[in-house]
Amino acid sequence: MPREVDLSAVKPYADHLGDGLVQMSFTLPVPYSLAARKAAMELLAKIGFEEPEVVHYEQLTEGYTYFVLFGRCVQTVDFESLQGEGFDIEYMSEEEIEHFAESHFGRPIVVVGAATGTDTHSVGIDAMLNLKGYHGHHGLEGYRSFETHNLGSQVPNGALLAKAIEVKADAILVSQTVTQQQLHVHNLTELVEMVEAEGRRNEMILACGGPRVSNELAKELGYDAGFSKGTYPHHLATFLVRELAARETPDRVSSVPAS
Amino acid sequence: MLLSELTAAARRLALVGLAKNTGKTVALTAILTELADAGRAVGVTSVGRDGEQNDVIDFRIEKPLIELVAGSLVATTDSLLRASGVPHELLAKTAIRTPLGEVLIARLKGGGTVEIAGPSAALDARHIADEMLALGAEQVLIDGAIDRRAASSPDVADGLVMSTGAILSEDIEQVVERTRDAVALVKLPSVDSDSRLRELARAGTSVLVDGDLANHHELPPRFALTAEEHQIKNQLDQHPQARHLIVAGALPEPFLDSLTRAARSQGRTLTVIAPDPTKVFLHERSVEHYRRAGIELRVLKPIELLALTVNPLAPQSHSFDSTRLRALLAGELDGLPIFDVRHPEYRGSQPAAPRG
Repeated sequence: MPREVDLSAVKPYADHLGDGLVQMSFTLPVPYSLAARKAAMELLAKIGFEEPEVVHYEQLTEGYTYFVLFGRCVQTVDFESLQGEGFDIEYMSEEEIEHFAESHFGRPIVVVGAATGTDTHSVGIDAMLNLKGYHGHHGLEGYRSFETHNLGSQVPNGALLAKAIEVKADAILVSQTVTQQQLHVHNLTELVEMVEAEGRRNEMILACGGPRVSNELAKELGYDAGFSKGTYPHHLATFLVRELAARETPDRVSSVPAS
Repeated sequence: MLLSELTAAARRLALVGLAKNTGKTVALTAILTELADAGRAVGVTSVGRDGEQNDVIDFRIEKPLIELVAGSLVATTDSLLRASGVPHELLAKTAIRTPLGEVLIARLKGGGTVEIAGPSAALDARHIADEMLALGAEQVLIDGAIDRRAASSPDVADGLVMSTGAILSEDIEQVVERTRDAVALVKLPSVDSDSRLRELARAGTSVLVDGDLANHHELPPRFALTAEEHQIKNQLDQHPQARHLIVAGALPEPFLDSLTRAARSQGRTLTVIAPDPTKVFLHERSVEHYRRAGIELRVLKPIELLALTVNPLAPQSHSFDSTRLRALLAGELDGLPIFDVRHPEYRGSQPAAPRG
């Protein structure tokens, strides 16, 4: 019988619950040697791992050594305090989405997407929108209930918004590689601000995606949802049809007394 | 004078930062503490997320917590309210959804720290602020997020506190310059209150208006979002008497650049009128740059900028001497009260604005 998990103090496990074992790999810019092995173990200890162990190391190229290591993590996180955050969506299947959309809207849901500003990475937006999709899940273009417009990469915010207004978009989808540089974040906030300036914030669902985009970040940026690695097109589609249906209920903005 | 005293008249007070980590939330907590000391009932919401322990982009940065006293009103999500563990009375559900849950309005029955994530959209923020005023708040603070300005629109808030800081640049002169430009944008002057231009703007479409205000010419839809230089030139050619351009929505910088070149090539000057300063998007260039190039920017509704707060510290990076930074800013910002609420001399002292 497996032991009961203490959700207030979870840590990684490999062999048995609570052992804290983590496997990791990295490369150090030092020549392949015993000293290199020692350096890797010392680095792990500095990070805070106990019992650092190098299980494999090899020369990557002249002057560089690649390591695979184990370490014992002593920290824990309180999962219980995190469970209340955000929504845990139960995703619909493609067929369920089509059915839901047909019975709720009776018209195609219009989605305009782009990688904005100077971002040249359109792979995220392509995976979500294009017929090809990825990992065998085709994009929204392949759904009967969606009309998609993929504007590609390096699209100025003004052009994206103008297209969205022109085709009466229900949703704008933006992908951005968010880094600690202010520029990428700024591109994302500027789009939200321009939608506000055009007086259309409550007419359009705004979703952003990228390797580091979380719901917490989406909230700060002013988006209705954020999608990160591991998102499939039907995840996005589930959110869009549910959110659109919720917006079509009449009491969207007005407050009602709590019962 | 304290920041809270200076801003007391704005029933809906917006706080906006020029970037992340300019100390906007620190300014908010300072105002909250002062209002609590003065026994004023306050309502708080945020268009982003406030009071979280660590920065959402750079996890190394610790953020200030939002400490509230019993009786305060908050608009935040159901889950964040629950997670706070602070006893509260639920006053209203709003049906406004955010990525972190539905927004509720509650009155705290005890003191404590609460993470605040209210409605993201500016007009929703206005509705929630009005709701909190109706429920007994004497003043509502609407905190911004990152560099978002929409909630400081005169359609949403009655006054604004702006935050700037060392994070903008490692060069103190650059910080001063960028802050000066941002202040100039926020303080864009209004067109005359009895002007015919105001009347024309009411139609809600972008128009060119002749110098004598007698004739106006409607522009194609989404003109300011999409028009290229030759299309702008074309419009100017067709309307040689046009001296004003009223923009109904967003006014992006690429359009202004094209407009500047088009106007200059014909030796013309123009006044461009936006609904309010939050609709004008300038990053590379300043209001002054366009003025020198023959494009005067004006707004229909100005923003009441009440104060500037300064964070002389850039987290994980560099810092400046607070007094020097404030003095340099004061030299550029005519009469605008400037505060560093973390500085030892802040409480009970005068803001470092130039006198006379």
